Amino acid sequence: MTGDQSSGHCKRRHFLRIAFRRVPLAYVVAAAAFAMIPAYVTGAAQADQGSTVFATKCAACHTIGKGKSVGPDLKGITTTEDPGWLARWIAAPSALVKAGDPTAMRLVKQYPLQMPDLGLSSGDVDAVLAYVAQQSGSARAHVKGPLAPVAAPPPGDAGVGRELFVGGARFHNGGPPCMSCHSISGIGALGGGTLGPDLTDAYRKYGGDAGLASFLTSVPTPTMSAVWSKQPMTPQEIANLTGFVKEGAVSERPLGAIGKLALLAVIALVIIVLIGALYWRRRLLGVRIPLVARANMLFNRKYARRS
Amino acid sequence: MDIRAQVSMVFHLDKCIGCHTCSIACKNIWTDRKGTEYMWWNNVETKPGTGYPTTWEDQDKYKGGWVKDGDRLRLRLQGRTEGLGNIFFNPNLPTIDDYYEPWTYQYDELFNAPEGDDQPTARPISLITGKPMDIEAGPNWDDDLGGSPIYASNDVNLEKLTEHEREQLNEVERLVFFYLPRICNHCLNPSCVAACPSGAIYKRGEDGIVLISQEKCRAWRMCVSGCPYKKTYYNWATGKSEKCILCYPRLETGQAPACFHSCVGRIRYLGLLLYDADRIQETALADEADLVMAQRRIIQDPFDPLVIHAAKANGITDQQIAAAQNSPSYKFVKKWGIALPLHPEFRTLPMLFYVPPMLPVLGKMKDGIYDSSAVEGMGQMLNSLEKARIPVRYMASLFSAGNEEIIREVYRKNIAVRLFKRAQRVKDISAAEAQEALEIGKTTAEEAEAIFNLTSLPTMEERFVIPAFAREEAIEQSLDPYTHKPAAGFGYREAPARRW
Ligand code: SF4
Ligand code: SF4
Repeated sequence: MTGDQSSGHCKRRHFLRIAFRRVPLAYVVAAAAFAMIPAYVTGAAQADQGSTVFATKCAACHTIGKGKSVGPDLKGITTTEDPGWLARWIAAPSALVKAGDPTAMRLVKQYPLQMPDLGLSSGDVDAVLAYVAQQSGSARAHVKGPLAPVAAPPPGDAGVGRELFVGGARFHNGGPPCMSCHSISGIGALGGGTLGPDLTDAYRKYGGDAGLASFLTSVPTPTMSAVWSKQPMTPQEIANLTGFVKEGAVSERPLGAIGKLALLAVIALVIIVLIGALYWRRRLLGVRIPLVARANMLFNRKYARRS
Repeated sequence: MDIRAQVSMVFHLDKCIGCHTCSIACKNIWTDRKGTEYMWWNNVETKPGTGYPTTWEDQDKYKGGWVKDGDRLRLRLQGRTEGLGNIFFNPNLPTIDDYYEPWTYQYDELFNAPEGDDQPTARPISLITGKPMDIEAGPNWDDDLGGSPIYASNDVNLEKLTEHEREQLNEVERLVFFYLPRICNHCLNPSCVAACPSGAIYKRGEDGIVLISQEKCRAWRMCVSGCPYKKTYYNWATGKSEKCILCYPRLETGQAPACFHSCVGRIRYLGLLLYDADRIQETALADEADLVMAQRRIIQDPFDPLVIHAAKANGITDQQIAAAQNSPSYKFVKKWGIALPLHPEFRTLPMLFYVPPMLPVLGKMKDGIYDSSAVEGMGQMLNSLEKARIPVRYMASLFSAGNEEIIREVYRKNIAVRLFKRAQRVKDISAAEAQEALEIGKTTAEEAEAIFNLTSLPTMEERFVIPAFAREEAIEQSLDPYTHKPAAGFGYREAPARRW
């Protein structure tokens, strides 16, 4: 499972550069970060910038003091972990995983999803660490607006969610149906795309309603953010999708479907071969050998009749 | 008028002795390379017979040549869409067995076998698999009517005959055959060119020789199907198709092609024809019965000042015009009208013409002895057409798309020449009778004399009238002749490699 994910991840790294170039948001954040560093050197100022970064990039999977979600709770992390290691991890998790760093490997084993490369500048990294440190200190200090997308999600309709997933209904702001990149049980034998991971187990992995909702609001992975940052899903759509993904987790992937598919494939193959054989039946029918055979047959028949 | 020059050939079938020297000459020069062992650019067939490849004339099977479709010509093989559908899987090819599996013998075993009680033998070895094989067929397997119940009786041209006529051909006293040497016809309207999806086949502007570019050929093998005479062949070692090149390197240096040069019966003639390229389509679209005449009409009189003027305007040199005026092909085909195209109904306008062989008449047996007096006398000779052992209809199927009148005309003229010369030499026919024969044959004493001379007593220079080809002028627009001269030859400049 882990191996799968890291290899999928390697593929996705390829998108990173492109995604980064295409996402103005990332630009804005990075540019703002750079612009701010000389001016606000104080921790507080950094933490302010860090809150923005945290809200857009981290909150989908992490909390500070609210418990484990998709990823670990980050409260107090700046004191328990080596700051140098933290900075390297946040900047490029995949590099550490690739290098076989022991802590990184432990995390990969422990959590269902490997943390994606977020494309943060070193300024962003410092800022977000400062912010985490600040928030950890005052556990009660609450976070500004966008940090709490989980606040009372509207009730979702799994049926509508399914339509959104398979492309039967359009997303309000545009954006492709989930099925073009993802598969999930419960959408028929052929499944969906394979660019993204299979979402059958996503409800559990991403921490239930709240986790999924926050993930879909902030779309932290580079590939998804390239697609969704300019045309976000509405909260209602997110709720509907979450409902559907939740059902997907329990609905059995029909085992017979694979057999049916294989059978269909074999039948189609046979039909194609038959059509080909019929269409090209004259090829390689020799002339001379049948000629000789026919003459011999006639001769034998004549001879047999006479004797 | 768009006058062009065409190297054209005449084979006088009365003179062919079926020695296959021509085939061997060709093989030794051009097709003794790997992958070409089975090819016979020149082959000699026995008629009636199925030929090489087996029943090549059967276009229901092989789909060669053109079909007249209203006022348009269409390849019998396929249209564009069909061509695309079949491009990786051409369904209309002869199999290697329809040609024959080429072989050699293990000659060294004759010398190196250990001493034993038995004579050493040289086993046949397949030139394709390299393994010992049983020989089941060869390129002239039905030579001299060998295996005629299988081969001769399946001759496609026999379909036109009545049941009775066909049975007669099998009677011992009537058994008859003649030889049909074949090379590429270097057609005016070649369907091999039209069938090629890569545009690799072209007709040389200055002499009309049809060639396959060994660089452009992509092994689709549509030409193999497209040529109704089955005169392009696929080289399985190089992955390119090849065909008779009319020994153009020899022609360019003033020599006759190897098969012409070596012909023992001296049946082969070669010379230039001037034709009107504007009329190719109209000629190829002529009605079946009119095809031979249409093909005669497209050939222009090289003495006509208008034709000469138009020829010069097209860059045909004075030497070429002089050669066309002197051309034995022009005389046989157009002036005397006794040479006919092979299977004109394929509508490729073949430029190889045949003088049909005299048909032996049925002799009479008297007390078990052949009675030669039964065929004496002029009346007998002229009537011989009806008594010929091979029906005129068979000849019409071969040489005139079924028009028997044309065949009769040709024979009447040829018989008249014989009677005329017989009256002169043997003197058992009166001058009056000879004169009557000339009239029946629609010819004159002079013409008969000329036909006789070119048929029986021609010199090498009369048989092969080869002009300077002015190749340097033909290529100089695209290539410096001095660059071309040391670089030209048969083959490819880059080794063919499969690139996926
Ligand atoms: S006879 Fe020669 S020129 Fe004519 S179609 Fe065949 S290969 Fe082409
Ligand atoms: S060499 Fe001449 S005579 Fe001999 S088979 Fe060939 S065409 Fe006929």
